[in-house]
Amino acid sequence: MTPASIVHGRPAASRQAGGSQGGGFRYVVRAEWIKFRSVRGWVIGMIVAALLTLLLGVFLAGNANIGCGATLSGRACLPKIPIGADGEAVTDTFYFVRQPLAGNGSLTVRVTSLATRISAGGQAGPVGQGPRNPLANMYKGTVPWAKAGIIITASTRQGSAYAAIMVTGSHGVRMQYDYVHDAAGLAGEISSAAPRWLRLTRNGDVISGYDSADGKHWDLVGTATLAGLPGTVQAGPFATSPIYNELQPFFGGEHIQGGPSQATAVMDDITRHGHWLASKWTGDNIGGHGNSPGTGVGYFRQSRGAVTVSGSGNIAPLVPGPGSFYPTATIERPLSVIFIGLIAVVVVAAMFVTAEYRRGLIRVTFAATPNRGRVLAAKAVVVASAAFVAGLVASVITVPIGISRARNQGQFVLPVPLLTEVRVLLGTAALVAVAAILAVAVGAILRRSAAAVTTVIVLIVLPFLLSVAVLPTAAADWVLRLTPAAGLAIEQSIPNYPQVGSVAGPAGGAYPLTPWAGFGVLCLYAVVALALAAVLLRRRDA
Amino acid sequence: MTQALPGERPGPTRQAGDRPVPEPAGRRALPHPALTVSRDALRAEWLKLRTVSSSAWLLAGVVALTLGVGAAVMAANRCPAGTTCQVDTVKLSLTGIQAGQVVVAVLAVLAVTSEYSTGMIRTTLTAMPRRGMLLAAKSLLIAVLVLAAAVVAVGASMLAGWLILPDHGFTAARGFTGLSLADGPVLRATTGSVLYLGLIALLSLGIGTLVRDSAVAIGTALGLLYLFPVVEAFVSNPVWQRRLERYSPMAGLNIQATTGLKGLAIGPWAGLGVLAIWTAVALLAGGLVMALRDA
Amino acid sequence: MEPTIEVAGLRKRFGSAVALDGMSFTVQPGQVTGFVGPNGAGKSTTMRVILGLDAPDEGRALVCGRRYASLPQPMRYLGSMLDAGALQPSRSARNHLRWLACSQGLPASRVTEVIQQAGLQDVARRKAGGFSLGMRQRLGIAGAMLGDPEILMLDEPFNGLDPEGIVWMRGFLRSLARHGRAVLVSSHLMSELEDTADHLVVVGRGKVVADTSVAALLAAAAGGRVTLRTAAVPEAVTVLDLAGTTITPSGPDTLTISGLPAERVVTLLSENAVPFSEVSAQRVTLEQAYLELTRDVVEFRAEPAQEVAQ
Repeated sequence: MTPASIVHGRPAASRQAGGSQGGGFRYVVRAEWIKFRSVRGWVIGMIVAALLTLLLGVFLAGNANIGCGATLSGRACLPKIPIGADGEAVTDTFYFVRQPLAGNGSLTVRVTSLATRISAGGQAGPVGQGPRNPLANMYKGTVPWAKAGIIITASTRQGSAYAAIMVTGSHGVRMQYDYVHDAAGLAGEISSAAPRWLRLTRNGDVISGYDSADGKHWDLVGTATLAGLPGTVQAGPFATSPIYNELQPFFGGEHIQGGPSQATAVMDDITRHGHWLASKWTGDNIGGHGNSPGTGVGYFRQSRGAVTVSGSGNIAPLVPGPGSFYPTATIERPLSVIFIGLIAVVVVAAMFVTAEYRRGLIRVTFAATPNRGRVLAAKAVVVASAAFVAGLVASVITVPIGISRARNQGQFVLPVPLLTEVRVLLGTAALVAVAAILAVAVGAILRRSAAAVTTVIVLIVLPFLLSVAVLPTAAADWVLRLTPAAGLAIEQSIPNYPQVGSVAGPAGGAYPLTPWAGFGVLCLYAVVALALAAVLLRRRDA
Repeated sequence: MTQALPGERPGPTRQAGDRPVPEPAGRRALPHPALTVSRDALRAEWLKLRTVSSSAWLLAGVVALTLGVGAAVMAANRCPAGTTCQVDTVKLSLTGIQAGQVVVAVLAVLAVTSEYSTGMIRTTLTAMPRRGMLLAAKSLLIAVLVLAAAVVAVGASMLAGWLILPDHGFTAARGFTGLSLADGPVLRATTGSVLYLGLIALLSLGIGTLVRDSAVAIGTALGLLYLFPVVEAFVSNPVWQRRLERYSPMAGLNIQATTGLKGLAIGPWAGLGVLAIWTAVALLAGGLVMALRDA
Repeated sequence: MEPTIEVAGLRKRFGSAVALDGMSFTVQPGQVTGFVGPNGAGKSTTMRVILGLDAPDEGRALVCGRRYASLPQPMRYLGSMLDAGALQPSRSARNHLRWLACSQGLPASRVTEVIQQAGLQDVARRKAGGFSLGMRQRLGIAGAMLGDPEILMLDEPFNGLDPEGIVWMRGFLRSLARHGRAVLVSSHLMSELEDTADHLVVVGRGKVVADTSVAALLAAAAGGRVTLRTAAVPEAVTVLDLAGTTITPSGPDTLTISGLPAERVVTLLSENAVPFSEVSAQRVTLEQAYLELTRDVVEFRAEPAQEVAQ
């Protein structure tokens, strides 16, 4: 008899009701829910999970301060950080050699050299701690994302809409626009023997970028549609070079060496088409004030039709990690301690199954509901729901507190779209829930709490720890693609931009897989484990 | 069972036994000295441990996981010619300890909690009612077993490092520490790693005694071990980073460092000392709970 | 040192529930002491306190005049079986006994002996987890006998035994007592102890209700009642009423009379020519005596069976 018959007191009728799919399952879920909430330790375990995450998260948010220090006025040392077209924080610092262009037109240059210099060993010093004479003590070196080329921008204000085609330190010719978009052109390093011709044409809101290896055969690299581009734009050569970071394999934590860098490019063969409003080039150190992510020094020289332009900084989205120059924080940073909550949830979830085996309760359970798959599903639903609530409570409280604490301590919290924020909050809860399902399934497979708890913790936590601490980046990326730890990507709020060359790594909030793909990996593990558990439950004697 | 009732056969006192025959209580003179009993307890615990097959599997697991993960990490690390790598080859060879310690923790926790989960603890305490002594016997035994497994695991890992690392660019010619035990720091790192696993075992045993439930104890032990490095990975405040590194149980792993000692938040032996303090606290708390709480 | 168990003034609460409420008794050598009482009367808790598994809030329990925990190799003094399932299921029966023997400094030969005695030789190498309840009881007894102790303490040893096993267990307990050992056996069924125990400690609600020999208990409980079966009930009542007895009808033609021995009843009825078909002195079973004693102290009393209304 199903519980239905007791409730309705009509055995004959309810037997049919119990046999139908939906109603029967609902009662099994309710039965499992009563089992769950009537063991005080399990409920406490879930509360502990939420509390631990919350407390540690808030602690973490309050102690993530690296740069500005807690000043009375809060973020006194942070300059106004420009915001790009899609609301994302950006770095927009470069040396701009410009002329106004009215209406449609085009600009063509030949780049004959790109030289980069790196500050000598100095850490990318936070504000106020940079070297006094930035260009002194710099040495020659390759900066992969040093950029020099031509750019069309709506204005010289930081954060303006733009499109640019450029040569780079080691990523060939690129067409980039509005900070986050990037397309590859001709590969290879440039030199006087192998120069590159670059061309930008404006046609209304559409800007097209072309490159050529000989000045005769041109290839379209990309087109950018910049909606609302004003009639008169600023156009001309530019150069910039980001904070240089070198990730060195250093044991016991990643060791990042770096500092500001400076790119100097020589361009000639400058051809203008269209209605150019000035006859002379004007040099501007865009964003190159004291608190800039670079040397703050830039210049240009003209001689015999050639322009030498030298600049430092970047035109790119602002990402977390050492390359950001400013003390930045992501909204999900305080949630990274979800690991600890996860361990508590995994313990409870595994015990929810294994405790029945230890005490023989499982036989009573199967006598009450002979459909074993249904029992497993009900257990998964109940534990996952409880875990989801615990995770949601933790994330919804932790994130806003974390954001405000980070701001108070002089950090710049990278803005994200509302939908992303919702994804981070709900995703964290879902992450905990799916981990709980995985634990239920592993518990049903192994039937021993010790084995189940260990397996799930090792599957989720150990790969992450090894990735952060001991594995080289390439290997760490694979570990975070293939193990359930990939699911933590659901918390990443700032996407990975290959054109930024971030070395943040998972500890800095950058996972190799996109949030949903990573979460999918974890779900896949849970589904496979659940299926295996269902098969084993049917086959094995209880 | 019906043929010879125990009460009807001559008691062991009247038998010529090969070992000291048990005297019925009424005729007992003095109690055995504590030392003898302790040896009995050790032997009993040893028998218990080796008659459950999971112990052997777990010990083998310590070696396998340490070596497996260590070798995999070593295989993944390379230092191509012409680049500079600040890699401590000894520490790299012993990376597997971080995985192996999981199994050590499980083994040590289960040594206590499996008795509670089956109810056997009541039989055990009936046989050995001196709880402090029982915990001491268990601790000693687990420590010795884990140390033995750790010697094998560390030895195998060093051998793997010796085989793998030179091919990956980590040669002595380029200034990397050779993996010779004659070298003082190398010897410190290897013996220290063995001791580290022993201490992790005792820490977990203490937690198991404190908590009594396998799942909760394993969760607590692994949580305690991993909490600090995970938080440390995310904390960017150097002051807190240093604090977390100094006071975490895994600070004991600093014993593996052979180069860059100045950069460490805590010295090799001091780090192991921190772990020893954690272990002592856990064991003490466990012992106290065991003594005071009803079985 | 006398092989005795002395329990004096034990008190213990679990939260708000009082488990032991001044439990005191002594177990003497040379006899089987039955430790009886309804479920939840505190029998197992008392035994756990005796073994030092639980600490009492008040009072003390001594084995051979000492705390159990202070005895070196205590299983040579007191063998016990509280819960036959208290073992790790993955270990074989033999290995279970081996570690127990080790812990008491006993030679391995003792293990072989008790395995023989308990009749476990065929299954000794099998995992104890697969044993039936009866087999586990035997294993538990074997463990208790390992140290050849002068005192045996068994909690519900008849549970799960088949009739043959019950007979064996009775003989076993009797033989232990005959050889001068002190035996404490708990049970919630008096009938199990009927032919086994010499002495009874009846408990209820955490304290001793009666501490008496079996013979004395039976005598006290019978109270000299006589059953009379007669076709002439009114006449019999008249005659017996005059003799100052208490009469209770116990059936259409039967009466229970107390206050007069059976012989006097027969004489009276004969003298007054009241016909009767049977006069018999009532024999009280130990069970009835026990129920009488524990009527007021049963903690979990079942409601009288009712028919379930459809």
